[in-house]
Amino acid sequence: MRVKINYRYIASLAASLAVALLIGAVILMVSGFNPVEAYSALLSGAFSNARHIGDVLEYAMVLCLCGVACNIGSRVGIFNVGGEGQLLLGAIVSAQIGVVLNGLTPWVVIPVAALGAALTGGLYALLPGWLKVKHNVNEVITTIMLNNIAEFVCEFLAKGPWKNPDNNIVAGTGNLPTEYWFTRLATGSNLTTVFFVATIMTVLTWYIMQKTATGYEMRLTGDNPRFARFAGIKTDKLVIIGMLVSGMLCGLAGMFRVYGAEHIYKASISNDYYFEALTVAMIAKYQIPATAVISVIFAVLKIGAQGMETAAGVPNQIYLIIQTVVIFCMAAESGIFDGLKRRAEDKAAKAAARLREKEGAAHD
Amino acid sequence: MIEILAQVFSAGTFTQMLRSATPVALAAMGGSMTEHAGIMNIGMDGMILMGALIGVLGSYMFGSAAAGVMAAVLFGILVGLFFALFVVKLRSDEFIIGCALNVFANGFTAYVSRSVFGFSGTSGYEIDYMQPIDIPVIGDIPFIGEILSGNTALVYITWILVLVMWAFVYRTPRGFYIRAAGEKPETLRTAGISPERMKWLASILCGMLCGLSGAYLSLGYLNGTFVEGMSASRGFIAFACVIFAAANPAKAYLAALMFGFFDAIGLRLQNYISSDLTSAIPYAITIIMMVYVVVSKERRRRSGRAAAKTSAAPPAEGAGT
Repeated sequence: MRVKINYRYIASLAASLAVALLIGAVILMVSGFNPVEAYSALLSGAFSNARHIGDVLEYAMVLCLCGVACNIGSRVGIFNVGGEGQLLLGAIVSAQIGVVLNGLTPWVVIPVAALGAALTGGLYALLPGWLKVKHNVNEVITTIMLNNIAEFVCEFLAKGPWKNPDNNIVAGTGNLPTEYWFTRLATGSNLTTVFFVATIMTVLTWYIMQKTATGYEMRLTGDNPRFARFAGIKTDKLVIIGMLVSGMLCGLAGMFRVYGAEHIYKASISNDYYFEALTVAMIAKYQIPATAVISVIFAVLKIGAQGMETAAGVPNQIYLIIQTVVIFCMAAESGIFDGLKRRAEDKAAKAAARLREKEGAAHD
Repeated sequence: MIEILAQVFSAGTFTQMLRSATPVALAAMGGSMTEHAGIMNIGMDGMILMGALIGVLGSYMFGSAAAGVMAAVLFGILVGLFFALFVVKLRSDEFIIGCALNVFANGFTAYVSRSVFGFSGTSGYEIDYMQPIDIPVIGDIPFIGEILSGNTALVYITWILVLVMWAFVYRTPRGFYIRAAGEKPETLRTAGISPERMKWLASILCGMLCGLSGAYLSLGYLNGTFVEGMSASRGFIAFACVIFAAANPAKAYLAALMFGFFDAIGLRLQNYISSDLTSAIPYAITIIMMVYVVVSKERRRRSGRAAAKTSAAPPAEGAGT
């Protein structure tokens, strides 16, 4: 299987984006905004200066990491919808590690925090993975429920045992000491050097999935588990490992948010970011290069929409609407194509029948 | 300790159980329809959320809670049609469409609510909501009356709907066709009935019931307020109830009651434990419920196989002697 992304895919993606922006424009007009103004505010909100571009790249990084995490799971045939919880837990654990180990050199603290975040996320993903393999419990429901549980547990920790000593912060862990912050790449933006780490992780995952025997076995497990089992692949083990790695990536994404952007754990670490990443991965048809590209497109939409909110007063949720229209279009793409093809075939068959009739008449 | 137990098992807990169970039960009944028709519908959460917003919006515009409920149900039909258009007609992946529907509902409801009510939500607006109904005679019975009487109309309507939906699925031809559309679509087609049409019907019913569930949530449960993301994964809990009940509407209601019970206990325990931890209880229970269903099914299958083996063994021995 070579890379699936071809011209038809790119054309449908572009068409879907165009349709989505058009529908967005209609919604904007209905609610009394000028779509041209709003969209130009969106573009300037995403690209007007280095800070905005940095924010776009940072958000694209989070989407891409989570999207890759989702890709790994779906590649082995398990759907990790619980990335949100894994991300939050990874974030809070890494933040607390930074607070507790305050005073040690960053060369110790950052690896320990990364390990802690990855382990927390991975172990949290392990439970639904194990239940799926062992007892065939629907992983979609378990992971979603675990999301909610993680959210409440983090809220509890941030308000109770791990609470920030500053009383102005209702729910948040202690502030991360400045020496542990990742270095910023653009002043005022959230983009930090960790962007390069995330890029390397993404490329590495792509390489493993696409070019190694393990990646091939994983793909086989997802596509045809029975065949994979008969071929001697330990499918159960691969599914569990897939889930573990998927959770680890989500946990790390949480750590990157804390050490790169927020420097504290609070609820705004993630606002259902994983669910957006899930849709990114779906549109990308679980291909990593496409996931990266679409992450950037969606990040432009999101950060631009925030600029649009401040500039034109449009609620920034419009980007979620535009984004989901893209998803609906992409999901319907094959159905629409097949329908068109069938209609064309019908037409051709009818024309041929008519021709035959005519010929028959001529013969008579 | 006894004090805590007394508070936990008071009539108030059971009233709360009914209140918490109703939205989940309504959605679970809708989910039973799509489940029978062979559609894995994980978009119910979004359907509930949109129903909640449209309910509040309808009540705000027409000045009556009943109009709000009607609006939510009508909008639910639209959502069901939209869902079926993609899943049935365009044959898209139902999982992707469900997920997308949830994200879309998040964006759509937040956008509309902010455009109409402003950025601080519905708090400053006067919105007509469902009033509790007191049942004359039953309301006077000490413990049970307290629980059964004084609920909003939708709680009682849900009871009727449970019976109606159960009868519809198991006692009418249409219900039979819907079940056949999921189990043996080709057989149904041979019988001259289009399985696609039954899937459309199931999606529309699911949209209506989820709209009703949302309307109850905003107009009954929260007295006419809309909060962003207020469905709080109830659609997924409803989906768990559907699986738990094998898509039987009556059993789904019982499963929803169980969820409601633990939700109510969680709310009661808030005086003793952090509310964040008690809020997690229903979700944890849902996971345990799922595991229990699957494991018990597994065990039944295994014991069934063992029984088949032992009953097959004696004749073989008899043949030997």
